[in-house]
Amino acid sequence: MTQAATQPNMNTKSMTNTPIMEVRNLAVSFDNGSGPRIQAVDGVNMTVYPRQTLAVVGESGCGKSVTSMSSMQLVPRPPGRFDRGEIIYRMENGEKVNLLTLTEQQMRSVRGNEIAMIFQEPMTSLNPVYTVGDQIIEAITLHQDVTAKEAWKIAVKAMDDVGIPDPEGRMKAYPHQFSGGMRQRVMIAMALACQPRLLLADEPTTALDVTIQAQILELIQDLKETRDMAVILITHDLGVVAENSDVVCVMYAGRVVEYANVYDLFDDPRHPYTRGLLASIPKIGTSHDRLVTIDEIVNNPEEFKKLPGADKGVTPWWPWNEPPADLKKLNEPAGDYCLKQIAENHWVGVWRTEAVANDDSPPPQLNYRVADHKE
Amino acid sequence: MSSASVPDPDSVPALSVPMRDRPNPLTQSKPAVIGFAFLAAMFIACLGSLPWTLSASNPEVSEVPRYDSGDPKSGRLPPVWWPYDDTDTKRAIAAVDQSTLAQIASEHNTDIDQIITDADSKAHEQAMDAAPSFILGSDNLGRSLAIRLLTGGGISLAIGICAALISVGIGTIYGAIAAYMGGKVDSVMMRIVDVLYGLPYILLVVLLAVASNALLDEYQSRARTKTNWAINQIIETQTTETDESLTRSEARVIFESDPVLQDDLMVQAAQLYPRRVFSTGTRTTLDVLTLLIAIGGVSWLTMARVIRGQVLSLKNQPFIEAARALGSPGRRVFLKHLLPNLIGPIVVYATLAVPQAILQESFLSFLGIGVKPPLPSWGNLAAEGLSELNTFRSHWWLLFFPCALLGLTLLAMNFVGEGLRTAFDPKRER
Repeated sequence: MTQAATQPNMNTKSMTNTPIMEVRNLAVSFDNGSGPRIQAVDGVNMTVYPRQTLAVVGESGCGKSVTSMSSMQLVPRPPGRFDRGEIIYRMENGEKVNLLTLTEQQMRSVRGNEIAMIFQEPMTSLNPVYTVGDQIIEAITLHQDVTAKEAWKIAVKAMDDVGIPDPEGRMKAYPHQFSGGMRQRVMIAMALACQPRLLLADEPTTALDVTIQAQILELIQDLKETRDMAVILITHDLGVVAENSDVVCVMYAGRVVEYANVYDLFDDPRHPYTRGLLASIPKIGTSHDRLVTIDEIVNNPEEFKKLPGADKGVTPWWPWNEPPADLKKLNEPAGDYCLKQIAENHWVGVWRTEAVANDDSPPPQLNYRVADHKE
Repeated sequence: MSSASVPDPDSVPALSVPMRDRPNPLTQSKPAVIGFAFLAAMFIACLGSLPWTLSASNPEVSEVPRYDSGDPKSGRLPPVWWPYDDTDTKRAIAAVDQSTLAQIASEHNTDIDQIITDADSKAHEQAMDAAPSFILGSDNLGRSLAIRLLTGGGISLAIGICAALISVGIGTIYGAIAAYMGGKVDSVMMRIVDVLYGLPYILLVVLLAVASNALLDEYQSRARTKTNWAINQIIETQTTETDESLTRSEARVIFESDPVLQDDLMVQAAQLYPRRVFSTGTRTTLDVLTLLIAIGGVSWLTMARVIRGQVLSLKNQPFIEAARALGSPGRRVFLKHLLPNLIGPIVVYATLAVPQAILQESFLSFLGIGVKPPLPSWGNLAAEGLSELNTFRSHWWLLFFPCALLGLTLLAMNFVGEGLRTAFDPKRER
């Protein structure tokens, strides 16, 4: 029902209506030596469709990177551990696999080939002792059965696609001969050389200045459109989210606090934390003595009484608040919390109180793309 | 784009010195350059002359190689450019063969004794011309110190380099694996290193050298095989004669308590199992091999620690994670992405490990457990020279030249190593 309602115009291929990756109740924890295990991710749900950009937003340590690393099994284990949940990925041939249970061998054919990743630090993400050409070619030969000459051609094409001038000549250059923005382009070329169907961009522009940031993000958007690729964009920059994403997932303390399409989220934020995030963005043209902090919003009890059904006890989940008196805690991890669908296309993390205990919200899935709604 | 008014960039003179004309940090350091030149000369001289010094001067007459050939009569002569005193002159002339001396005596109408005592005579001069002379003097057996120094240098340098390569090889692989595996494997591997570190390394080298010597001796003499055969013989005779079977230990008691029987059996055994004979060359090579394995096998510990530290910091670099995210197998990440990034520290450590190995070799040879005479090495040449030093009469050249060459070479190697370290150090001062 939700699915049908959000269905955009009919020119999209039928395949794009099936999710490419579904994260269900994912929980990841880390060993903390003598202390209790640190629960980095605690029951996260999200869904990505082809040709869609899902933005994952949250502050440092909220678990957004761990979620994306888990889908590549790149979380170091030990000390990390997958506690529960699954990440269902639909392979190119339509077969569905749980990425958390694949063997290292199987995982290697997924990494780079099906799912590619670009990192936050373009300055150090390339091996300083090889030319960029060698590194792109390595990525190609790892997954494709091609001759050296063909690999060279594919690599040149990939460099050209990401807008590096004189790709033939630059193939022989070393990473230190590139600027930060160019290196990030090389990383993207490397990631895209194998035609992945899902791109994990873990804060791809944090280390770059704003003009380069805009270029890189535009490049990712273009490539996404031309290749029917899905993108998970991890960031803490709401400006980047507004410009580049279709669906937004706001995370806090290892859980999803709000999940909606980008317009709904910015126009009508339902969780106090999201409101705090948005309120703390300084606005050009207004004069303030001081800026609004997130604390001012989340410390205000009134903010937690604005959800529909608040009078019946639907209260946004917030780890620093006392749980409501009528909490119906399930006897399982994260049992005090549930992600409730409060509007057709809008999910908010709430306490599992009496009012929501029998709620049967579907896991968040929004087959929504901004591009389809532009005329 | 290109209009006629825009000058060709190549024709415009550059404002600053081009990058490639800036001084190379390695050639900046004078000690490193001088050290490198000295080392190059030393390597060419010592290693290049090995085929010559190890071959016999006159293969048809004797097989004795050049470094070991000499006439004791011309022993302990000082370098030819050093003023000879009376005893030196006497010994030098005495070493000239009798017929030549007789000829000179008859030419000048004197006798042989006269030639030796009358230092101002023409005959004495002529005899001295005919006497053997050594550019760096001779040792007590009349062997040329210069040739022995060249051979010894070749052997010391070769052992130094090979031992350093062994230690760098083991150390790199061990340290890198420990760091790359991490966790318990790392802990166990590094604790082993700690324990080995705690043992005095000289003790380990001596143990290794002694153990390998014992193995080689057993291989040659086959003493154990012969004894086993003898004991089996005793058991067999006993069984056929009395129908009683003996245990091995009982048979051994009989064997050891009866010297006549023992001798008899051992003679028979010696015919069945003749002594295996090594040629001198093989035995020498085996001794040198043992030594360099012992030195290399003991001195990799520091290397393992250095490399472990480097890999620990490298493996958390994003490019390693990026390589894994591309789907590279772990082994490939290790070999293709980690190891090439370690070249800097490996090269620096290797250049510093060579002088260390040479010093250890010399030290062991000095103590008499290293290279065995007559094969020279700088260490045992210095040891011989030291024994020639006495209050009555000092043959200083025998001690001075080996020590000077050893010292200068070690100094040069350390200068080069230091120069490389500075050149590889990103935080060096400009």
